[in-house]
Formats: sequence, structure tokens, C-alpha cells
Amino acid sequence: MKKKIIASVAAIAIASLGFSVAPASAADESSCGTAAGFCVGLVTDVGKVDDKSFNQSAWQGAKTAAAALNGFSKYIETQDPKDYASNIDLFASKKYNVIVTVGFLMADATAIAAAKYPDIKFIGVDQYNASPATNYTGLGFPEDKAGFIVGYLGGYLTKSGKTAAIAGGPSSIPPVRKFIEGFRNGVAYAAKEQKKKYPKSSTVYYTGANAFNDPAWGASTAAQYLTQGYDVIFAAGGKTGNGALARIAKKKGAFCIGVDTDQWATVPEAQPCLVTSSMKNIPQGVQVLIKQVKSGTFAGGNFLGSVGAAPYHALAKKVPAKVKAKVKALTAKVLAGTVATGVK
Amino acid sequence: MIKKYLGSRWSPFVATFSVILFFYLKDALATTSVVATSITFGLPLAMAAMVGIMCERTGIVNIGIEGTLLVSSFIGFFVASVSGNLLVGLFAAVCMGAVSGLLLALLSVTWKMDQIIAGTIINILATGLTSFFYKQGHTLPSTFPEIDIPGLSAIPFFGPVLFMHGPLTFLGFFLILVLWVALYFTPWGLRSRSVGEHPGSADTAGVSVVRMRYLNVTIAGAFGGLTGAYLTLELVGSWDRGFSAGRGFTALALMIFGRWNPLGALAAALFFGVAQAITNQLMITEVVTIPQQFTNMLPYVLTILILAISAGKVRAPAAEGQPYEKESA
Repeated sequence: MKKKIIASVAAIAIASLGFSVAPASAADESSCGTAAGFCVGLVTDVGKVDDKSFNQSAWQGAKTAAAALNGFSKYIETQDPKDYASNIDLFASKKYNVIVTVGFLMADATAIAAAKYPDIKFIGVDQYNASPATNYTGLGFPEDKAGFIVGYLGGYLTKSGKTAAIAGGPSSIPPVRKFIEGFRNGVAYAAKEQKKKYPKSSTVYYTGANAFNDPAWGASTAAQYLTQGYDVIFAAGGKTGNGALARIAKKKGAFCIGVDTDQWATVPEAQPCLVTSSMKNIPQGVQVLIKQVKSGTFAGGNFLGSVGAAPYHALAKKVPAKVKAKVKALTAKVLAGTVATGVK
Repeated sequence: MIKKYLGSRWSPFVATFSVILFFYLKDALATTSVVATSITFGLPLAMAAMVGIMCERTGIVNIGIEGTLLVSSFIGFFVASVSGNLLVGLFAAVCMGAVSGLLLALLSVTWKMDQIIAGTIINILATGLTSFFYKQGHTLPSTFPEIDIPGLSAIPFFGPVLFMHGPLTFLGFFLILVLWVALYFTPWGLRSRSVGEHPGSADTAGVSVVRMRYLNVTIAGAFGGLTGAYLTLELVGSWDRGFSAGRGFTALALMIFGRWNPLGALAAALFFGVAQAITNQLMITEVVTIPQQFTNMLPYVLTILILAISAGKVRAPAAEGQPYEKESA
């Protein structure tokens, strides 16, 4: 009897080990590889598919596109970087049509897989395809522009002149660095326009073992900023950023800015402070590319997605009309490229 | 002479405080913030280390602290969210922690399972179950508010550092002190320690080893539940998968650093918290530009350094990790 209980406990434990796999749409996996079937597989990097920002929006794009094309979609969450290749192989062995790999960290693994499986199309979100492969498209975003726009808004909203960014990952990840530097330059641009002297916008980067996955670290770091009078904080980085947002929301008079997707909807805790989010239109980019695969126009190379700032939602009343107009005008200029972000 | 000075276990803390004073005179706001934040960083680790201390002092190795934190913060968050009452959530988290402790006791005391495996089972179960049942979109009705103790919180430096925290922070500190007193100055403490050092003798003296281990591991679990509740209901205010992010494992290291002594582990955790806050502050003020990877190593490097210089001989409870078998006559 006892042994049985131990065995069943162990069985549950083993079952919950490893990666989590979740099916999503009506068509089923057995149709993959047949003429009628259209299968989209998505592999996350060490971030999670329900991170309320980056991975989640990529999965949303893949799921929506597959559903629109009567296809099947499924994701694998990578638990450890050494599993990137084997997770991709898992989809490839089942003859998926498209494999979406999410995150800069997976770029190398994706390029290798693209060479290994010439018949499968690869979409690498936040990746740059430097190879001549025609079955691999890097989906990149001008994050510096998205950061610049919200930084500019922050530069007008701050009362103390102290603005900050909390990055959930190290600056060696280009999208993280571009978001942050864009934000800092945006603040500086707004300061110059108002002829004000702000201290240089500050940043704390997380480089520990739980990049993008440590909400309590994000919250503590936010607390450290708040006690020093910082009143506009850009929380850029998965769950680490979500923790920071939730903490800032508890402080009266402080503004927080979300990242990747409109976090008003995904992180409701942040609503008291969330004035906008620095958005990359990941779902749209992923959908466009998946549809290209279906229609046969997928060409490889690189694809530049769109960016922008999320609506103000309920905090619209805290943003003066004059500032709204300025931000709107600047957004157009930045997106058109007439105002340079100064980020390389 | 120098060796004797360096060897004193208080030297790192004396050094830390002189450094704090120096920087306070230079930049009061930032220094106050660093020290206040070090409590935010350090306290959950200290509380989690208490879980380990209570278990190991009675001879049970608990590497399932991480799982306890994860599952109890999860339960605390969702019960508070659904019931709309933080106290109900807190209660649920503490109960959940106690249940996880009870499970560890069942596996390792009654079934005499390898304790490392028993702890691993708790970690894996917690990861699996919380991931499976997690649903997005829930929010807390509020979080435990910061309590500014009137009068005291107005004192420069000491006010923000010591007297402006949430209720669970105060409770956590209080319980750590209670645990220290209980462990060294009460019959319960003596019995607990004897069970951890030499269960055979304790048994001969009439202390029930099994009951003592069950009791302590379960109370320890409840303490872990409180830590989980602190993380979600007071510190962050949200919950995400993998929420505890390895704090349960760091706590084990701090427990050893603190020599299985509640006050020692508290000091170790606060020291670690200070190092973490300084790391952040180096990036915040950008006085010097150091690669982030190096600044982020700081808490760990400092901890290893201090450990190497001042820890001396560290001795674990003698009966740790061994299931107790009554000798048959």
C-alpha cells in the first residue's frame, strides 16, 4: 500500500517534470506533413509562454494565424538553453510546416535547424538572419523607437526629473539594450525640449540566473528606485518586469511603463500606474510571416515589424492634453525616421 | 593579530556598518534606500532559511523549501484573489506550507525515504501543480500596506530602514527572534536539538523522535507558507509561474552560512540583501561603469569571501539526513 502511494506520488512528480506542451486549436497533430495539414510549432526560449508580454504575444500571433488558416498550433517551453535544438527537432520530426522560435537567445539554434531542415520554414522572433537561407526569416523590431516614444512621454510626466528603467535581462540581449537606450534618449530629448536639466535616466539590468523570470527581484528593485524619488519607471522584461510594475502600482504619484504588449490587459495589477506600454507588434509580425508560408511567398531574409506606444487607458486624465499632442506628433516623426533615436 | 581580527565572526558586520556610515554622510537618500531595500531583498531569504534551520535541527534535510515557497505563494495569491480577503489568503498560504511540511515528514520520517529525494519530490510537485492550475487575469483586492510606525518612522535613516515596512515584514522579524529564543532557551528547543544531534539518546531520555520531527517539520512548513505569503501578498502583489525564482535554494546556503543559528542566518541573509542592493545602486548611480555581469556577481562573491574568511569550522547537526530507527532490544 505504502509503496503504491510512493509510486503514484513519484509518477505525478515525473509527469510534471520537463517541458510543458499544450495543444491549442481544433485540427490535430496527425494532419502534419499531409497535403491538407498546416502545422505551426512555437518554441520559447527560457521565458514562459504566459509571461504576459514577449513570449505570450508571439504565441498569440502563431495561434491566431494557424486558426485562420485552419491549421494546428502547439508550443514547447524551453526549460534549459541546452534543449533549444532538441525542442526544435521535436516539431521537425513531426513534419511541422512552420516553426517559430521566440527570442534572441535562440538565434544560433534556429539558424542551424534551418540548414538541417530545408523543407521547414523558420520564423525567428527578435532574431537576425545573417545567412543566405531562404527558409528562415528573422523578425526584428526597431525597439529603440518604441523605447524613445515612451521615454519622451516619461520625460514630460516626471516631476522629480528622475526616470529609470528596470531591465529583466542583461544589455547583451540587443532588444533589451535597444528598448532601454531608446527610453533614455527619449527622456533626454523631452528634457532638452523643455529646457530642463534632468539627471541621466538610470537603468538596472538583471544578469542573474533567472533572467525575465524573477518578479520578486523586479519588485525589490522597483522599491529601491521609489524610495529614491524616481517617479517614472520603465519595466522592461518579462515576469521580472511584471513584478516591478505591480510594486510601482502601490506607490501614489508614480508612473510605470510596460513592455512588448499592451500590459494594461495582461498585468491588471499595474493599472493604477500604467500610463502606456512600449509595444512591439509581435502578433502581427508573426501572423504576416505565417500567412506568407501558406501562400508560398515566404522568402527568408529579415522582416521588420512595427512598434508603437499603447493607449493611455484610464490614466489619460493624468496626461495633459498638450503632452498628448506632443507625443502624438513625435511618434509620427520617430516612426517615419525624421527624429533619430540615437541608438545604434 | 590580523588573523584574529579577520577571524572574528562580527568583523564583516562591523565593516559593513562602517561602510554604511561613510556612504550615509556622502549621500543620505541613496544610502538609506540601499539599506532599506536590503531588508526587502534579505528578509524573504532569512525567513526561508528558518524553514531549513527548524528542519535540520531535528535531523531532517529540507531541500523542498523552494517548492513550499512556490506552492504556498500560489495558494495565498489565488485564495486572496478569489475570496477578496488578504487575511484569508495569508491563512491559506500558511496552511498550505504546513501541508507541504507534513508531506515531507510523512515521506522522510514515517516512510524513511531518502530526504534529498523527498525534498526533490516537493519541488517538482510544486512546479508541476502550480504551472498546471495557474490562470492569468486574477488580481489581489489589495496588498498588505506599509505601516509607518508613528514617531519612530520620522527618525532619519533608522525610520525608513526599521520602521516603515509591511506587517508581514515585522511579523517575520519577530518570529525569527522567537525561533532563536525557543531553540536555545526552552525545553522544546533542547529536545529539538537533541533529536537532531543524537536521536538515540533523546529517545532514551523519553523524547519521542517521531513526534518531535513531525511537529518541527510541519511548523517549519507553515513558516515557509508565511514566507510565500510575504512574497506575493506584501512584496510583489502578483503571482507568476516559477514565482519564487530559486530563493529556497539560496536560503539553504544562508542557513549554512549562519551556522544553523536563526540569528546567524538572519545576519547572513541581510548581508546578502545589502550586497544585492549595493549591486543595484552601482548601476543606478553609474558612478563607475562596471560591466553588469560583474556587478551582479557581487552578492555571491562577497558571500563566498566572507564565508572563506570568517566562517571557520561549520558543523551540521550530527543526525541530519538519517531516518531514525528504534533499536530493537
